[in-house]
Amino acid sequence: MEQNSKLTVLDPHGQPSGIFGRRLDAQSNPRDILDPIAQPSSNLKPISMAPRLAALDGKTVYLVETGFAGSFEFMQELQDWFSRNMPGVKTVIRHKRGTMFTDDPELWNEIKSNDGDAAILGVGG
Amino acid sequence: MERDARARGTPLRFGFPPYPVVGMSRAVLRQYIEGNDPITSKPFMREVIEVLTSPLTDKEKHPTITPKPRRPRLLASDTAENLYRQFVENGWTDGLPIVLPTEERVAEMLAGTDHGPQELVGRMLVTTHQEKMEYTVEKVAAIAVMAGARPEHFPVILALAASQEPSMPSSTTSWGRMAIVNGPIRNEVGMNCGTAALSPFNLANSVIGRAWTLMSINFGDARAGENFMASFGHNLNYNNMCCGENEELSVFEPFHMQKGFRTDESVVSLFRGWNVLNFGIGPAKEMAHLISTFGSMGTSITFIVDPLVAKNLRAEGFRTKRDACKWIVENSHVPAGHYWQGQMQSGFAAGLAKQGVEPFASWAKLPKDALITPRHSPDDINILVVGGETNPMWITTDFTYTQSVAIDKWRPKGGLHRDARPLRMPVPLACKDGACGIPEATPSAEPVTAGD
Repeated sequence: MEQNSKLTVLDPHGQPSGIFGRRLDAQSNPRDILDPIAQPSSNLKPISMAPRLAALDGKTVYLVETGFAGSFEFMQELQDWFSRNMPGVKTVIRHKRGTMFTDDPELWNEIKSNDGDAAILGVGG
Repeated sequence: MERDARARGTPLRFGFPPYPVVGMSRAVLRQYIEGNDPITSKPFMREVIEVLTSPLTDKEKHPTITPKPRRPRLLASDTAENLYRQFVENGWTDGLPIVLPTEERVAEMLAGTDHGPQELVGRMLVTTHQEKMEYTVEKVAAIAVMAGARPEHFPVILALAASQEPSMPSSTTSWGRMAIVNGPIRNEVGMNCGTAALSPFNLANSVIGRAWTLMSINFGDARAGENFMASFGHNLNYNNMCCGENEELSVFEPFHMQKGFRTDESVVSLFRGWNVLNFGIGPAKEMAHLISTFGSMGTSITFIVDPLVAKNLRAEGFRTKRDACKWIVENSHVPAGHYWQGQMQSGFAAGLAKQGVEPFASWAKLPKDALITPRHSPDDINILVVGGETNPMWITTDFTYTQSVAIDKWRPKGGLHRDARPLRMPVPLACKDGACGIPEATPSAEPVTAGD
């Protein structure tokens, strides 16, 4: 073949599937590989963000640590910061069940039921 | 993360404290919180308060979904040199030379299976939040061509693709993988299960393991620093310790049979972990002692043992691999105080203990000198028999078994599609009686006695 003659090759990439991530059962073994909940893009509905608070004073902010090493201690320091600098903000530390990738609907219901006004989740990595 | 959030119509607000958080003292974490976001340079807590209180933008109130565009089947025609440069410069390779996936070469590879080119094989991602990329038999064939595989290897590569597991899941901790093949296909395609099986002396081992990583890069859409965040990466990613289990020299049942497959079925089993920790020699108690010194947060240990080690374990009285694993688990002890000192244990297992997850919850209440068995189930230990009996040794990995995938469904019904002259590297010298190359001893005229 001549050195400058042209070839046609296949694109090696996958195609976007419209299916995102993995949703893990809270009771699952972190080592298990689980099937994803399919979210075909035709069924995706955009989710608007929750309305913002006008101010944090007088509000209850949940500090949700995701289980990653250091998260709990980070949230403790965050709580201390609020105590020192914004004592009018009530903070509640909670641990999210399962791994850092696991949903925890019970915790979200607890936050809503107990009049939680906001939540900070962290940390990753 | 922001891009993938837009793709599914979910606006996100977030802030970054400095990194890492794991292992940092409370004093350092306090400095993080009182300091600046290293990405935006803004005071971190000002950002946190703004995230919670600044009004939503129009885009945040009315998010739209921005789907990723579908890619054309073919790249624009160009010279081989320019196409190769395109593959390298776009990060579509593993840095080693590839075979360009022309239509002709891909068509030849597709003869390695009866499954149609447009059949969906699976979907893959390297992080949990991103959009999965889906791939067909034809796409896997393109990857197999790039890896330098031949059609006879294609059923194994399709099985790896069907696992939907990337060889390089993204973690800042830098994961490595292992792919072990059992069953007749090992010998049919010339895989090496014996001497130097884990070294670069075998074409099938090399190209099959490599194809898994090229799939992960292109199907998992892995981009270092963007969504692949391994701090230093892992050299195992190049080939994923791909080899066959030495069923012929093993005295134990093959690994795939432990997972419910028949001996005549061909299967690839996948493992994930961080390290090849060390090598060892000696009886089962040495294995138990060794793993008691390693930290555990619920991860497994996978021993790769030479067939001589398997024979020694059998001679010790272990009838099956599981018998040996059970004994190793029960005899691997560590004081609770020592266990909880480990960074991984205090960081991760402690969280499970707080949630009441056993056995961590009970271990957290024990006195420091109480002995615990850090691996609490024989299922936490795997034994794979690989090697050529040149040394009765094993290597210890912290690899966890993830799944086994059947290969046979991808075979052509008419039999593996072989080249007229199958391509093989030199086969390692091996002889059953262990006398390879050693000249026969000439009997001496007089017997040798002690004191001579």
